[in-house]
Amino acid sequence: MFLAAGLLVVAGGTAGLLLTRHGTPALRPVALGVNAVPAPTGRIVAPPPSAPPRPVSRPVALTIPLIGVQTKLMYLGLNSDGALQVPPLSMISFAGWYTGSPRPGAIGSAIIVGHIDGYNRAGVFFRLNTLRRGDRIYVRRADGTLVEFRVTSVQTYLKDHFPTEDVYGPVPDAELRLITCGGAFDPATHHYLSNVVVYAAEVG
Amino acid sequence: MKSSRLTRRLLMLLAASALLLGIPAAATAFASSATTGTGWIRLAHLSPNTPAVDVYLYSFGNSNAKIVLHHVAYGDASPYETVTAGDYSVAMRLAGASSSSAPVLSTGVTIAAGHAYTVAGMGPESGLRLQVLDDDLTTPSGRGLVRVIQASLKDQTVKVTYGSTVLASSLAFATVTSYHTVTPGTVTVTVTAGGGDANTSVSVAAGTVHTLVVLDGANGLEIDNLTDAAGSGEPPGGGVTTGFGGVAGHGPGSALPWLALIAVGLALAVTGSLTGRKRPQPRHGF
Repeated sequence: MFLAAGLLVVAGGTAGLLLTRHGTPALRPVALGVNAVPAPTGRIVAPPPSAPPRPVSRPVALTIPLIGVQTKLMYLGLNSDGALQVPPLSMISFAGWYTGSPRPGAIGSAIIVGHIDGYNRAGVFFRLNTLRRGDRIYVRRADGTLVEFRVTSVQTYLKDHFPTEDVYGPVPDAELRLITCGGAFDPATHHYLSNVVVYAAEVG
Repeated sequence: MKSSRLTRRLLMLLAASALLLGIPAAATAFASSATTGTGWIRLAHLSPNTPAVDVYLYSFGNSNAKIVLHHVAYGDASPYETVTAGDYSVAMRLAGASSSSAPVLSTGVTIAAGHAYTVAGMGPESGLRLQVLDDDLTTPSGRGLVRVIQASLKDQTVKVTYGSTVLASSLAFATVTSYHTVTPGTVTVTVTAGGGDANTSVSVAAGTVHTLVVLDGANGLEIDNLTDAAGSGEPPGGGVTTGFGGVAGHGPGSALPWLALIAVGLALAVTGSLTGRKRPQPRHGF
């Protein structure tokens, strides 16, 4: 009796696991239920090798074709308590660039944040944690130029153990970090317990 | 008997599939380090009277070059290249020389994950050497870092000031200072030397790391400002509050609930098969 029930549960669990896995990376380039968007068109401007770095203009839009992200960028600063500002509830379909971080495409770690969800709908970075190494990210800048990044790593951190230096610290090449919430949701505090950080580097 | 063996096989198969599918997924979800096992290297030519060179980067023990920079002339510094951590060798050949010819000089460099290095041809041509410099990737909050490489042969010893701060009072040719912590801003950097002074305006933002290179120019000294690294000058505190929970539990991609279900099922099945075996077998016709 137990055996049969146990086997049924195992079979169900395995099927569920297979379906979850199937829904995300196995179906590259497009995940189930995602309206993928085309990669933006335009000249991708990477710094030529062995030229002094030129100043790059401000970022204005973000596209992640694989997970259907196509958004204008807000500009975000710090709250009075030193925490990173986030887009307001009315703008959960927008991502924002932290103006205290390097500009995307310039040397350094540019920071873009977005919500995973609102009170009753998905946010701009709902599927951020399904990105995998090698996936492409595009940022359009105020002068119309595009910069292309490729995902190098996707990590989930408990907010209590957020690796500030890894995420915000200096790096010697043009990189991007996309940040959203993830992990378990604590209904008592109305906060997710973790952050998902996507690390990406400019395609050069 | 037959059915029990089948059950055991089925269990093993399921356990194996759970291991195969479940463990890597869980490991990815809980990895606590962003380390991708890569570091950075940049190559520079800082020997004033040495002609242009081709610079080769080899993974140790591999004769196929990983990176080749052609016609690197005095004063050139490449952008940083991202490479897998490990042992490498850097070789310089005169520009245009065959890649199979013996290099003018070469050196080994060990690249650690998450660290950055500058490998520079330094000194006069007669005493040319490849020097490996460790490049700093951490700044005190709200500050910047600046160091100086003295690559002028015409002026063997120079004094370098950053605003009112003396970075080096007597810096000899082909040497480098350690990094100095500086207040962010735009300041005048002055190089004082016997053959004449040079100055330039340098902007250092908080959270950035710079190397100033003193070079022999066509008309006196020149100062090159290299950005070694940049981050957020004021790193935000703690995590980021980017969710309201409206679709919590429906987030895509998590394997954990299914893994828990499999574990419960396995436990049930194992309990079932163990207790089942201990019980006396029912006989027909009883």
